[in-house]
Amino acid sequence: MLERVAHLLPSELSELLARLPASALAELEEIRIRDNRPLEVWTGGGSAFVTADGVLQSSPDGAFKPSPDMCRRLLERMTNHSVYAMEEELRRGYITVEGGHRIGLAGRTVLEEGKVRSIRDIGGFNVRIARDAAGVSAGTLPMLIDRSRQSVASTLVVGAPRQGKTTFIRDLARAVSYGRWRSPYAEGWPGRKVGIVDERSEIAACVRGVPTFDVGPRTDVMDACPKAEGMMMMIRSMSPEVLVVDEIGRDEDVEAIREAVRAGVAVIATAHAGGWQEAAVRPAIRKLLQDNAFARGVVLRRSQSGLAVRVIDLEQPAGPPAASAAGGPTRPVAHSPASPREPTAGEPNVR
Amino acid sequence: MFVKLIGAALVLFAGTLIGFLQAARYAARPKQIRQLAGSLQRLETEIVYGRTPLPDALRTTAASAEQPIGRLLQAAAEELGLGDGRTFRECWEAAMRNGWPATAMRAPELNVTLRLGSTLGISDKDDQLKHLRLAAVQLKAEEDAAKDEQSKYEKMSRSLGLLLAALVVILMV
Repeated sequence: MLERVAHLLPSELSELLARLPASALAELEEIRIRDNRPLEVWTGGGSAFVTADGVLQSSPDGAFKPSPDMCRRLLERMTNHSVYAMEEELRRGYITVEGGHRIGLAGRTVLEEGKVRSIRDIGGFNVRIARDAAGVSAGTLPMLIDRSRQSVASTLVVGAPRQGKTTFIRDLARAVSYGRWRSPYAEGWPGRKVGIVDERSEIAACVRGVPTFDVGPRTDVMDACPKAEGMMMMIRSMSPEVLVVDEIGRDEDVEAIREAVRAGVAVIATAHAGGWQEAAVRPAIRKLLQDNAFARGVVLRRSQSGLAVRVIDLEQPAGPPAASAAGGPTRPVAHSPASPREPTAGEPNVR
Repeated sequence: MFVKLIGAALVLFAGTLIGFLQAARYAARPKQIRQLAGSLQRLETEIVYGRTPLPDALRTTAASAEQPIGRLLQAAAEELGLGDGRTFRECWEAAMRNGWPATAMRAPELNVTLRLGSTLGISDKDDQLKHLRLAAVQLKAEEDAAKDEQSKYEKMSRSLGLLLAALVVILMV
């Protein structure tokens, strides 16, 4: 994992991290660099501090401390010596670099009219290593297809942070775009035009407008664009058949998704929530579910064996389990969004 | 006798040449400072309005600048392009210190340029604008000083070269 981001780090730091045990390197998720404080890494789902010899330990005592000079070099590298060209990124608090890796920043903020305009005196970096788990959605996609439209059904993906929601919808977007439906019903269906509204540059990880993840050949990306506005722009200008957005939850998102569904566009969206019930009580999502904007719900949970996926069929509250029936085109007149039929057992999916 | 004459002529010629070269340096200094300030102005446009990343901004500026300023900026862009983990300030300083002797400019301008190098690229655009403007003002002051020196010493060094050569010839004869 380290080699993917080594070019971003000052040489002292990448050499130090290269001395970590191989198992830790393979599972490396985050490198947390704090000015003059112990160097921390997240690997294999847990935190550890790194000593100057490349040994992992749970106590911060005696850990390697990156110098202010090292942090300055790191910042210069990440911004390509051009902090002024990254103002929007600094306002949002992170920089996305080639490969989809994201560097979160913490420091002293600069305010303008009460709003954060930038960050200066940056003292904390969190290098999150992106991994593109191709095929995570392969087992789930057949349950999400809409046979009448020969496309994917509108789907809400729910999960707590760091459960792989973004990876999941990226993989869905790619599969739909390529037309890899992996279902006997979908034999011969073409790929669909996909529009990704990528407000936080996480789904496609665009660098200068070009996606650095493979998001499929029929996919357009509106990068760093506010979701609601981006969805409307996409619908007006790019005629997508499937819209993919991350982390919905604001009122304007609701309106845009309703608009998209009315326009016959399937929407794949994610929402932060611990579980389906928690998601369904959030005001924005409750409204969307009452409108029947989504035909499927997906709950993601990372477990020891991999990614556990639970599919909820929102169209047939009393019908057979979604896993066996891929969902019919019928829409029930009434259904209660807060208590959808609890689905079949989780289907473990190798990460 | 004949050899002496040739020697005297050579000394006279060399002295005059040195004087003229010195005079040319006095004349070139304000001009080059002006060009440097012009290039920095262009860099300012690239940074503040174009939001061009610094290595690219340096390259475009270098391409449009007159020599020897273009070479200085190009060298800085190349040092940056090595990507060996040095900061911009270090790359800029190395390029300027190496290239400076080939120009007619002197230490005061170099100091202004180096000070600018320690601020370029590491702050937001308003801040960059301030530093670039400050450098422009300082360069203007240096340019005025250089012009003063030019008017004082340009003609003088030209005649001085010839006269010193003549003195040497007289002493030799």
